Amino acid sequence: MNILKIAWKEVKHDFRDIRTLVFMIAFPIVLMLILGTALTGAFDGGDFDDNIALDDMTVLYENSNEPIQQPFDAFTKELEKSGIHFERLSKGTNGKDQVEENQADAYLSIDEDGAKLYLNDQNSIGGSVIQGSLASFVDQYNLITEISKAAPEKLDTVLTASTDHDYIKDQTLLPDQQPGSMDYYAIVMTTMIALYAAISAAHLITQERSRHTADRLMIAPIKKSEIFMGKLIGSIAINTVCIALVVAFSIIFFHANWGEHLGLVALILLTEIIMAISFGLGLSFLFKTPTAPMPVIMIVLQLAAFFGGAYFPIGDADGLLKLMTNISPLTLENDAMFQMIYANDLSLVIPAIAMNLGISLLFLVFSTFALSRREGL
Amino acid sequence: MNILEIKHLTKKFGDFIAVDDMSLTVGEGEIFGFLGSNGAGKSTTINMISGLLRKNNGSIKMLGKETNKHPIFIKKHIGLVPQELAIYEDLTAYENVSFFAGLYGLRGEKLRSRTIEALEFVGLAEKHKSYPKSFSGGMKRRLNIACAIAHQPKLIIMDEPTVGIDPQSRKYILQSVQKLNEMGCTIIYTSHYMEEVEEICTKIAIIDHGKIIADGTKEQLKSLITDSKLIYIDVKDTDHVDIDAIKAIPGVANVTLAENTIQIHTELGANNLNQIISYFIENKIEIRTLDEKEPNLETVFLTLTGRTLRDA
Ligand SMILES: Nc1ncnc2c1ncn2[C@@H]1O[C@H](COP(=O)(O)OP(=O)(O)O)[C@@H](O)[C@H]1O
Ligand SMILES: [Mg+2]
Repeated sequence: MNILKIAWKEVKHDFRDIRTLVFMIAFPIVLMLILGTALTGAFDGGDFDDNIALDDMTVLYENSNEPIQQPFDAFTKELEKSGIHFERLSKGTNGKDQVEENQADAYLSIDEDGAKLYLNDQNSIGGSVIQGSLASFVDQYNLITEISKAAPEKLDTVLTASTDHDYIKDQTLLPDQQPGSMDYYAIVMTTMIALYAAISAAHLITQERSRHTADRLMIAPIKKSEIFMGKLIGSIAINTVCIALVVAFSIIFFHANWGEHLGLVALILLTEIIMAISFGLGLSFLFKTPTAPMPVIMIVLQLAAFFGGAYFPIGDADGLLKLMTNISPLTLENDAMFQMIYANDLSLVIPAIAMNLGISLLFLVFSTFALSRREGL
Repeated sequence: MNILEIKHLTKKFGDFIAVDDMSLTVGEGEIFGFLGSNGAGKSTTINMISGLLRKNNGSIKMLGKETNKHPIFIKKHIGLVPQELAIYEDLTAYENVSFFAGLYGLRGEKLRSRTIEALEFVGLAEKHKSYPKSFSGGMKRRLNIACAIAHQPKLIIMDEPTVGIDPQSRKYILQSVQKLNEMGCTIIYTSHYMEEVEEICTKIAIIDHGKIIADGTKEQLKSLITDSKLIYIDVKDTDHVDIDAIKAIPGVANVTLAENTIQIHTELGANNLNQIISYFIENKIEIRTLDEKEPNLETVFLTLTGRTLRDA
């Protein structure tokens, strides 16, 4: 009860703080608008609704199973429309090597035993798109191969059925559902601003101290842990509402694509907010003055945003850049989102949530420990 | 019955002893004045009573219970008006009072009526929808008080509630203190304004360097120094006044200098006024006015500490 009262108080006076609202809501929306429209050219020919970097994608393929060539051509013709070009591997070259050397984005090998797909960078947007669109083909083909081995007489019927565009329709990859620049920035700006919850969190306790209301809270017949929990929950609630508004705005006005799994999107964002708040709160206990943690938080956030692809997509990275990209929590956050939204691939959702909650736990444990040792709040 | 019993209370900040082996009792129904100059240890003592600071030594019993053993029970019965304003600028006056009162378990209609009562009590009922941003210093101080009384505590502790406000608000606050007392609250009132304490307090403790150097009713305190009086001499120019020479005059206990006024603290039956005046005439120091004062708390403080409240 006391926890809720404190949380509600927190929500109330934060929503009256115009700066919070401008920063957490207007700022990301304006950035989406600016980056999403100004940088459209960087993504494609300048058409707002066009896809990201897909024009340049090339898939090398090798097919030693001639009967499959016709349905495969029909299938690839669909994909050509969405910017994935298929080229037969020239004799004497190694498809996997070419992919590794960045000569092509993917290599698909088809033979009587089945189909296999090699990707250079599974986690890039392009990689996700190729993976998503070819996965159904590979699955179908492998199914057909198994059937042809077990019951060759059924093969014809299966093949004719498969030459329909069924396996493309199953995919989320339809031309109007590829990440346009606005779709891209809607996602990366949202995950970035969720991280910025750390800033207000760093003031969460210190502000009560500087306003002397910490004393009032401490002399009330409530527990210190209730104050802490109330403030934490309040802060999570405010930031969640802000992020939800940003997402809703991007959907309604920018027609940004957030995919089918809105529940999982929400879960990733919510755990990210908790992580950001725990981080800010933890740092505020690490320093003596309320202003000292700010530069540290700002640097961490800026670097995380930059290397996490908030301003432009970080493509193939090497060395230090690759290391920085991997360290930024936004990289995993964004990759999980893109794979989920554009390739229907949920494999990074759990890792992203686990990372968010793990880091949260670390800073929350530290904060509660630091708080319990303090005289007062 | 005693509402508060403090024994051998000590607080150290590092090597510095802010409260030094302090013992005192506050009876129920009292307006207990805590008089001391800045840095005397008033706030430190109060913060230990209300549970904001841990004590290093000694015991504090309130309503017969050890405060650190029954913190929640004790906190319910205390209302603290902190020395610094402790209100939320972005909550309305009503929301401020209601939020803090809510932490004391008040709910629904009771919470609402107590909040209104508290705001009425400090004269802010009409401003209940306004934000403290728009308030004057005195109004903020009154809101600061309202936040401490809505839960109807038995003991209200006010830490310098009149610092830096206009005379009207000050008068209002002093009257409120007396009204709260008439309503049955025990009050601990700290101040470094001697006149305030003398005006409203039924009992007074003079605190200096973390120690209580005298306590009792104002009559009892004044009786401590019935054998002395205070002579104020206004001069044109104090440059050539030799304090030690005046102190050497028989019967003079202490001499202090404040701007153009020399305060001479002397034994009552010493009959040394002639000698004192002679000193000024002999040294060609022009006397403008001369005043003799009955003992008051200022005199008491001066006698006991050798300093005035203001310059200490
Ligand atoms: N947190 C603290 N750390 C160190 N010294 C302190 C602290 N709080 C108060 N003091 C010192 O203790 C003394 C008493 O302070 P305080 O109780 O605030 O005096 P008062 O309220 O009578 O003006 C002062 O000398 C002050 O500087
Ligand atoms: Mg004080």
